[in-house]
Amino acid sequence: MYPALTDEALMSLLKQNDHLALETLFSRHYKSLCQFCTVYTRDYTVAEEIIANLFMKLWDNRHDALILNVKSYLFASAKNLSLNHIQKKKAPVDFMEDLEMGQDVIHDRDTPFKILSGRESYNGILTVIDTLPASQRQVLLMSRIDNLDKQEISRILGISVRTVETTLYQSIKKLRLLLKGHHNSAFGS
Amino acid sequence: MEDKSYQLIIDYFEKTISDDGLTQLQEWIEVSPDNLAQFSETIQILEASKSYFKQAEHPEKMWAKINAHISQQESPKRVPVQKRRWLAYAAACFLVCTSGWLIYKSLNNKPALTAEYEVISNADGKHTKFLLPDSSTVYLGGGSKLKYTKNFTGKTRAVYLDGEAFFDVVHQAKPFTVKSGQITTVVLGTSFNVKAYAAENKVAVTVKTGKVGVMADVHGEPQVVKYLLPNEQISINTVSGLYTFNTTDARAVNSWINNDFIFYDTSLKEIAASMEHYYGVQIEFTEPDLGKVRLTAKFKNVSLKQAMENLSALSGLAYTQKGAHVFISNNNQKGGKIMK
Repeated sequence: MYPALTDEALMSLLKQNDHLALETLFSRHYKSLCQFCTVYTRDYTVAEEIIANLFMKLWDNRHDALILNVKSYLFASAKNLSLNHIQKKKAPVDFMEDLEMGQDVIHDRDTPFKILSGRESYNGILTVIDTLPASQRQVLLMSRIDNLDKQEISRILGISVRTVETTLYQSIKKLRLLLKGHHNSAFGS
Repeated sequence: MEDKSYQLIIDYFEKTISDDGLTQLQEWIEVSPDNLAQFSETIQILEASKSYFKQAEHPEKMWAKINAHISQQESPKRVPVQKRRWLAYAAACFLVCTSGWLIYKSLNNKPALTAEYEVISNADGKHTKFLLPDSSTVYLGGGSKLKYTKNFTGKTRAVYLDGEAFFDVVHQAKPFTVKSGQITTVVLGTSFNVKAYAAENKVAVTVKTGKVGVMADVHGEPQVVKYLLPNEQISINTVSGLYTFNTTDARAVNSWINNDFIFYDTSLKEIAASMEHYYGVQIEFTEPDLGKVRLTAKFKNVSLKQAMENLSALSGLAYTQKGAHVFISNNNQKGGKIMK
């Protein structure tokens, strides 16, 4: 592979039918793209399929594409493909599931702020994250993805960098409120 | 002002905080318990958000699909002449090897070759406990493999080990042997720890109870290297043949079976190797000398992150974790690796 080449250099090689260039782009961005898709699809396996299709499309259109910023292109395409997928999937049933998730939070007796590590103990927090308003949830999760910085998030979501920052703080503030809301005990003290 | 405190906490979490920022953050936390609450809650929220993405990834599987798609499009190419020739050589080799093996087998009609073996193996990050045919207990460590004849038929109760295991052996007249490469450990009934990862070129035997004989194959003949008593340990370099003999705390050496780690004055390199096998991660030093730092540390059933935090605090070095890959670097650096 070509680890030292820039994304743009890889694109030129791609136009010359170089498989290895595609493979380099793939291994470089695969993980963050899948994580990014998961924010929309909420299903990692589906995200992987979407990204695989994305790279197949990239290969198919390698000669026609006029791509200036490869990374932006990849993430913007991933976003479109994910939204398309969700549109096709969307049924009344999905709304019901979302509502039920919200109610689980109220009944949850465990304090989400336990001082433990591991995915199991974060389930309380994760459940509430999925109930945040879409923009807050997206910014919070996307900002956790490696190789995706504020500038890129602002471009993908079509908002200013400053808005990305304030939305992030708002999401954290809201979560703190929601997680404290239904419990009498203070956490961790 | 409030926004600024959140930004500092985020910078701290992402390990991009400046020295000034760290000082400001600490001072701000000390001002009131509300600030401390904001700090710890925010950290937990950030950690939870990050854990949102903890999924198994299958890039190879997905790449295979993409590759298939690419190949479908391209017209079938003729196999180049060189490739065909290579296939012919490979086929010839295979025939020679197979016929050679068949001849060898017919000349050496040892019953042992037809014995049935049980093989137990653990990937890095997993350790298991099980019983052997004679009811002896084995704790098998991460990245380790144990092989033995199904009913312990034969003159000895023989097991073959590549990796680390703690044995609690039932006393029987038939000796119990652990073979790891050229080194064999022989006991009648006792409990001991053998650490022999073939890739590390080292075999270390530590006795907890009973008496153990350690033998080495010298010019094809087994010879006794040493008899060990409880809390004695021998450590052999299988490349040079040099060994060291010392007393130690046997309980500390096999504490891993209870998810505890106790390291006395051990090099960070060795500690990292143990952690790799136990947690199933890969740990690399950005400079080889960093592994020479010697530490004394104890971990009781902790997560990888907790362990790395402790090691980092003790050694004064920093670590960066990217998925299942940990890099240890100097304190003001982050580590990483270019994927090849």
